[in-house]
Amino acid sequence: MADLVQFIDSKIEKNPVFLLGNEAIARGAVEAGIEFASSYPGTPSSEVGETLSHVADKLGIKFLYSVNEKVALESAFAASISGMRSLVFMKHVGLNVASDPFVSIVYTGTRGGLVIMTADDPSMFSSQNEQDNRHYADLAHIPMIEPSNPQEAKDFVKAAFELSEKYHIPVLFRTTTRVSHMRGPVNVGEIPKIKGTRRVFERDPERFVSLPVNAIGLKKMLMEKLGEIAVESDMSFMNKAQSNMVSEIGAITSGSGYNSLMDAVASHSIEIDVLKIGFTNPLPRGMIAEFLRKHDKVVIVEELDPYMEEKIRAIAQINGIRTRIYGKLDGYFPLVYELNPDAVLQSLARILNMPGYIQGKSPKTGVDLPPRPPVLCPGCPHRGTYYVVKRSVRMSNIKNPIYASDIGCYSLGTYDPFDEADTLISMGSSIGVANGFSMVTDQKVIAFIGDSTFYHSGIPPLINAVHNNLNMLVIIMDNGTTAMTGQQPNPGNELDYNGKPVTGIPIEDVVRGIGVSNVSLLDPYNLKESFATINRSLHQTGVSVIISRRECAIIRDRKLRKNGEIEIYTVNQDKCGKCMNCVENFSCPALFIEKGEIQINPSICDGCGVCAEPLVCPFNAIEVKK
Amino acid sequence: MTYNIRLAGVGGQGIITAGNIISEAAMRSGQKVIMSEIHGLSQRGGSVTVDVRIGDCYGPIISQSSCDLVIGLELIETFRAIESFENVGTALMSTEKINPISLSMHKKEYPCLEDLMEKYGMGTRIYPVEAGEIAMEAGSSKAVNIVMIGVALGLNLFPMTADEVVYVLKDTFPEKKLGINMKALELGIALSGRMKTNIRENSTIQNRSS
Repeated sequence: MADLVQFIDSKIEKNPVFLLGNEAIARGAVEAGIEFASSYPGTPSSEVGETLSHVADKLGIKFLYSVNEKVALESAFAASISGMRSLVFMKHVGLNVASDPFVSIVYTGTRGGLVIMTADDPSMFSSQNEQDNRHYADLAHIPMIEPSNPQEAKDFVKAAFELSEKYHIPVLFRTTTRVSHMRGPVNVGEIPKIKGTRRVFERDPERFVSLPVNAIGLKKMLMEKLGEIAVESDMSFMNKAQSNMVSEIGAITSGSGYNSLMDAVASHSIEIDVLKIGFTNPLPRGMIAEFLRKHDKVVIVEELDPYMEEKIRAIAQINGIRTRIYGKLDGYFPLVYELNPDAVLQSLARILNMPGYIQGKSPKTGVDLPPRPPVLCPGCPHRGTYYVVKRSVRMSNIKNPIYASDIGCYSLGTYDPFDEADTLISMGSSIGVANGFSMVTDQKVIAFIGDSTFYHSGIPPLINAVHNNLNMLVIIMDNGTTAMTGQQPNPGNELDYNGKPVTGIPIEDVVRGIGVSNVSLLDPYNLKESFATINRSLHQTGVSVIISRRECAIIRDRKLRKNGEIEIYTVNQDKCGKCMNCVENFSCPALFIEKGEIQINPSICDGCGVCAEPLVCPFNAIEVKK
Repeated sequence: MTYNIRLAGVGGQGIITAGNIISEAAMRSGQKVIMSEIHGLSQRGGSVTVDVRIGDCYGPIISQSSCDLVIGLELIETFRAIESFENVGTALMSTEKINPISLSMHKKEYPCLEDLMEKYGMGTRIYPVEAGEIAMEAGSSKAVNIVMIGVALGLNLFPMTADEVVYVLKDTFPEKKLGINMKALELGIALSGRMKTNIRENSTIQNRSS
């Protein structure tokens, strides 16, 4: 992408640059002079890493994709207390994984600025929940900053580093999907030269060793620090009252909610004063009290939970302010999903009594266009694995198998025709829940987990299963990459994001090291042998592991296309018996039916050739296109 | 005032690239632009939309009632985009068909354009474009996105000039791919000239002869 290439070269005279929110965060961090960054990829935060990985080496920044978010945060913490400005970023649920060190490093504090970016996903575009990570700010007593657009994302990240360094405290930087994935004009600033030298860690065990004897004092100091930071919030440029205080009505808002509010009021010429909050923990209490006093009615416009609203109502109560406050707690705004200008307008119309704007129902109903849910790519190795497992289970006459799935592209195995997911909760939960199922049911338990997810969180539950003599078949679908978030590397790889050699850790060594004796390898492009392997494993007791290994089709295609080596397939209509097995049960997106005949779309076929195998096409009708 | 564009298609069709080109060109013409990219679960093969908002606006979400232009790179996805708004000013629709597996899996065939038009096309000014053929003529089936940009430019559906788009194309594509994309843009613009005539003559929404 053009902006990635130009990223470093984007000089001030080129302003503004058209950046994605996440690219702007990366740019802001670079302008703040970070020397260390780490992450575990997760939508909607992944592009921060995409961007940094392109420029880190050139700028002398140490960047790494960590095995999981906890390790990423701990590494960044170490860089910070060694004196480097450090950035760590993850998706919202990633902070759950990192939450253990997260809470305690706020007590110990930091040295070089440490910013922890978390990207929430209201409306769950690509997540299993829409948890509101602002609550983590309260849980950990950590300052929090929230931008509304790419320009703010860049500017506020810089401010976050300043704040972190001034108070020796990590700062939580929270975005949502709409901010992270919104592209807009950004005026960029200078990129400073960083030291890029190695540091000497100066020990201070009373701070950095969180034994109770130290933690007890640190907690008190933290609360004092937070008091000072509250004063900072009241003076921050990130909190701003807009308009001339002409209106009886005010709105207090933040993040993406601000954009929806502004678009709603602009398009309907609604007069309202706005207090926009970018520094959301501690809230600017003085500023809010003043704003409340100046208005008869104040509307709180925020996404997900009534996080600010509860605090603002408390501010009003403490200060004896009788302003009428409207929000989620009294039912004016929805408690679920992201806001949009239409939804905000609906709520405002009720509050401001504008009957003309209130809609009875949502406008479009009865649309029955064929759905196009995300699918496994053409050539995806997971298709072969799922196809064969389903057949083997059926052929082995296994009744009521339990399929425990996990987070990654292979989550799509939940869709028809595979329908091979009964649970899917969190990273590594496939093997985790398989432990429990094995203990309380007599059903065959099959856990599907990807390579990256296995390294991330699959190893402890596998240890648990072996140690406790449980029964399960674990299928590790090893496509050699963290595919769903954009092909980031993982510990199985021999090369890092930059093509530099690193030590690949073979999954089979890990599995055998844990004590699994039944370990098999298969190639999901070879259906016949895969079938035999899976059949055998299905009849074993104890913990069996199958590693289904084949490179991600996107990576494979990229290589093959570059060399012009793709051989695509076609259906020989003379041979086709029209059994429809390929479209019904294998269901590659390249296969379709036209005028009763099965066809292969040549612009979609990636030439994997798996559909040509007799286990899919018993008539041998699928052939290489001449 | 804001000019709101929704680009719709299937993952892999170059929708984000198209959105970037339109946005960068609008920025070059001195306007404020916001673009939304929602990367869903799918790497390839799922429905993808990109929204471009040109003018004075804050967020990337287009209101139900204010979509000025839909550019669909695929038939079903064009109608899905049209259906997601209360009303749409104009829709440019590539007649490319990419079969969703939800159809073939249940032994169903891709619906025909006429049926789709009848069911979902009423009340919207829709311009069907044989963008696939034109892209091939330009040198690559992948250039459908640029053909569509050319058609939109030719029909004066963008608040910017062809020169501004050309500048961005040169900035976006490497030497090797620039020729094909420039050609795709030219052919798209040329086609729009013929389309205008057709629309005027028929003055119906069901103009399929282009």
